[in-house]
Amino acid sequence: MTGSSIIAEDEREGQQEILEQRSAAVIAGIETIDPDHVLHLASSTLKIVLSHFIDGPGARPGRRVFAMPREEEGVAIAAGLELAGARPVLIFQDNGIGNLLTALLTLCQPYHLPLLAVASRRGGLGEYNSLIHTISERTEALLDAAGVRWFQLDARTPVDRWAAEIERAWAFARTTHRPVFVLVNLMGS
Amino acid sequence: MTAARLDRAQVLSFIDAAAPDTPVVLSLGGIAREMLAVAGRKGNHFVSLDAMGQTISVALGLALGLENSDTTGKVLAVEGDGSLLMGLSVLSTVGHLKPRRLLVYVLDNGVYLATGGQPTAAADIDLVTVATACSWRGAREVRTAEELAAATDWALETEGPVLIRVRVGTAQLPVRYFVEDPAILAEDFRRWLRSSMVTPDLHPSISGRSEAGGGI
Repeated sequence: MTGSSIIAEDEREGQQEILEQRSAAVIAGIETIDPDHVLHLASSTLKIVLSHFIDGPGARPGRRVFAMPREEEGVAIAAGLELAGARPVLIFQDNGIGNLLTALLTLCQPYHLPLLAVASRRGGLGEYNSLIHTISERTEALLDAAGVRWFQLDARTPVDRWAAEIERAWAFARTTHRPVFVLVNLMGS
Repeated sequence: MTAARLDRAQVLSFIDAAAPDTPVVLSLGGIAREMLAVAGRKGNHFVSLDAMGQTISVALGLALGLENSDTTGKVLAVEGDGSLLMGLSVLSTVGHLKPRRLLVYVLDNGVYLATGGQPTAAADIDLVTVATACSWRGAREVRTAEELAAATDWALETEGPVLIRVRVGTAQLPVRYFVEDPAILAEDFRRWLRSSMVTPDLHPSISGRSEAGGGI
């Protein structure tokens, strides 16, 4: 084995460890909220988080966990759930932000319906998909342009604070009667 | 000879009368404005002023959220063919989740009437077959007032999700734009929902339950 391949192997193990730690923190944060509905959309970086809710310990009686075919459909379903007094959380990755903006700005924002969305970051260092950068690097700018409040969790926030920050974001959505996004970087960059 | 189509306003008036104490999600444009014209502001009507393509999704969320509540009856969505086709994937989500309270009316005039009558693709789509293929518990298509009444009786007595496609004409009532603040519309609907419950404290977001604890 060459020196460079040993380094590459070490890097992969380090990234996997970070992914597992941060995924566990995201799970803990969402579980603290205790949502009764978890709406999700496929994401390789969210695999650990989604597995927890789909067929892991988070798939508990009294909680409905299901896939949304498109992010905007999930936003609208969550709007109905909020009106009914339920506790929905949306989980997806940030390259779907563009899909949901119209529903967000014609439903949740003007109708003052709180919503918590946990969106994983794509693009940037460590990204393997060559074209996902084009939209994912604009996530903050898109949300800013839409007037949507967002919080970022990445290496700048100690991972042991992530769960509490997610819980605070949930409370903030309710206090302000509007959608709030938590952008979580699970890939280590 | 082609039979005369039902008027949309006539159908909306019928739906309002058939479901006076039922949550109703109204699609944008002519459906919302004509319902306001024939029924007035109703507490049980959630009026969507935009969000095209998402009417059934909102009603689905309501139906899921009220699944175990002590409200009675169905949750209705009144959707148009153009808006439905913009968010057709929701038919699969509904079929998968099977909300037992959900009843969807699709008022199909074959055009985007509010924007000048541009044709939709609905004329070539068998929506009854699509819904049943998506595992809805039932779906019917109606063209007359008698068929609408019979299908509504069936739908109200049948466990959801069920869909009724109503073929309507392109006649429109002369209506004004509706410019109420959406935040007020949502709050009015929440208040009605709370008042319709036997135990309103079960509805935390409208009973004032605090998430953040005390303090100013």
